[in-house]
Amino acid sequence: MNSRMQSAALLLIDIGIMFIGLGILALKTYPEVLLEPFAWAAGASAMAILVHSYILKKGLAADKWIFPIVMFFSSLGIIMLARLKPVLCVPQLRWLMIGMAVMLVTIHLARKFSDIFQYQYILGLVTIAVLCLSLVFGTEIGGSKNWLVLGPFQVQPSEFGKILLVLFLSAYLADHKDMMMSATKKIGILEVPPLRFIAPLLCIWGIAILMFVVQRDLGSALLFFCMAVSMTYMATGNKSYVLIAVGFFSIGALISYALFSHVQVRFNIWLDPWVDPSGQAYQLVQSLFALGSGGVWGAGFGNGHPGLIPEVHTDFIFSAIGEELGLLGCFAVMLAYVLFFYRGMKIAFSCQRDLDILTAAGLSLAFLLQAFIIIAGVTRFLPLTGITLPFVSYGGSSMVSGFIMLGMLLAISAKEKYNGKGKY
Amino acid sequence: MQFSAVVIKFISVVFQYGLLFLLLLFIYRTLKYMRQDSRPILDDIYAKTEIVNEQARLTVLESADEELTGRQFVFSHELSIGRGAGNDVVVNDAFASHQHARIVMLNNLYVIEDLGSANHTFVNDKMIEGRQYLQSGDIISIGTAAMEFVR
Repeated sequence: MNSRMQSAALLLIDIGIMFIGLGILALKTYPEVLLEPFAWAAGASAMAILVHSYILKKGLAADKWIFPIVMFFSSLGIIMLARLKPVLCVPQLRWLMIGMAVMLVTIHLARKFSDIFQYQYILGLVTIAVLCLSLVFGTEIGGSKNWLVLGPFQVQPSEFGKILLVLFLSAYLADHKDMMMSATKKIGILEVPPLRFIAPLLCIWGIAILMFVVQRDLGSALLFFCMAVSMTYMATGNKSYVLIAVGFFSIGALISYALFSHVQVRFNIWLDPWVDPSGQAYQLVQSLFALGSGGVWGAGFGNGHPGLIPEVHTDFIFSAIGEELGLLGCFAVMLAYVLFFYRGMKIAFSCQRDLDILTAAGLSLAFLLQAFIIIAGVTRFLPLTGITLPFVSYGGSSMVSGFIMLGMLLAISAKEKYNGKGKY
Repeated sequence: MQFSAVVIKFISVVFQYGLLFLLLLFIYRTLKYMRQDSRPILDDIYAKTEIVNEQARLTVLESADEELTGRQFVFSHELSIGRGAGNDVVVNDAFASHQHARIVMLNNLYVIEDLGSANHTFVNDKMIEGRQYLQSGDIISIGTAAMEFVR
């Protein structure tokens, strides 16, 4: 079996997951069965197979494993939504299909628009503008003021800001990395480059803290901050940046803890959710109950009570997976994110230009960090910060931006095959 | 009515375990396939090696067995190395396994494969795991014997 057939086999497993999941739910309501999700699921599966074979045949992507892994998340997300919020199942399938189309467009455009990296400061300004859009025009939905209402659509600008941030950081760092590495001054144990080289980074950190405070969007703020820090570290290999960032973060966290009640609430319920289990900590406590009652094997798909957790279909979808599919299901999901990251880093290491290495590494890191932040939040490993589980949670913005990032990653993998070492 | 309810219950239980099984199967398969995929890449070695002819020569540079030292083995497709008498290169050495390693031609390149020997096979002082492409001038160490591969 060659590797192309192997990746097609993986895709078939994903489709199997989707249909078995929908089948279980249909059997529960038998004899009245809703056929609409099945029809849409069949459409999405056919599209996934077509898209996968198209990009491999045309050589638009050299990586065969990333797309099946993403479809694994999407299938799981769709059956969890069909279970938790049946109304949202068909819209999610629609978003999945839109996402795949957007991915194809991105792969095609990525080749033509590689010049944008030369306009790094414009990229930086656009990043800041997109992030500030929701600061200024934001509408509050579900506790955080990070939504933008455009007619019938609700968009989460921070999801798209994430992409711009990766592009800006990789363009900036690839260009300035030599200066940031050589022109350093020693201050104590820290090696610091002149302020003007790190000013853009300080700016991003500042925006992240502003988002944290004004928008109450703790999840995105943490994600942006971590990405800026880790990409800087990846580019320069200088640990001083990490130390400075940790210092910044601690000061910011202390000040916001002292000043803002919502930060205090988040921290206190993380430290001890049992003080107020039916009030402020209700969501977290229910999530812990769900994970606990799932055990190793889970309650069985469709047999748990994940509906007790508020917002279970977006931020808390991992708890629902934990309750119904157990530790084994959680383990599979977490391992799949790690495998995704591994493939992304493999693409990065196969690149020759610093710019491509940083972009590929930054994109794959963004997914892993996002998954880590929310999984750590719902399992009470870290204080809870609301953010979507990439490709699994319900959400159009999250799905589309995820597929744009995937498209860029695949385009980089293909470029390496043709421009780089590939001769076969 | 009773019967159909039992059947539905049965199918849905089977499906539920099936779902969990598929999740784990996906991870297992992905790991397995990716592992195959991350083996040495063909194109790198093509860039480095000039393909001169379809013949290779193995020269024994040193060995505890004095009869073997200095001997040359010319081969084109396959060469087996080991302590067993049936091998092309018989290494009379306590550190060599009966069937220690073999060199085979694959895609016009030579590949050395360790056949699960006890004391391993080394190429340029690095232990090989499974299979590895050989380049002209590589030194293969088996037990106390060192051999130069030239093509």
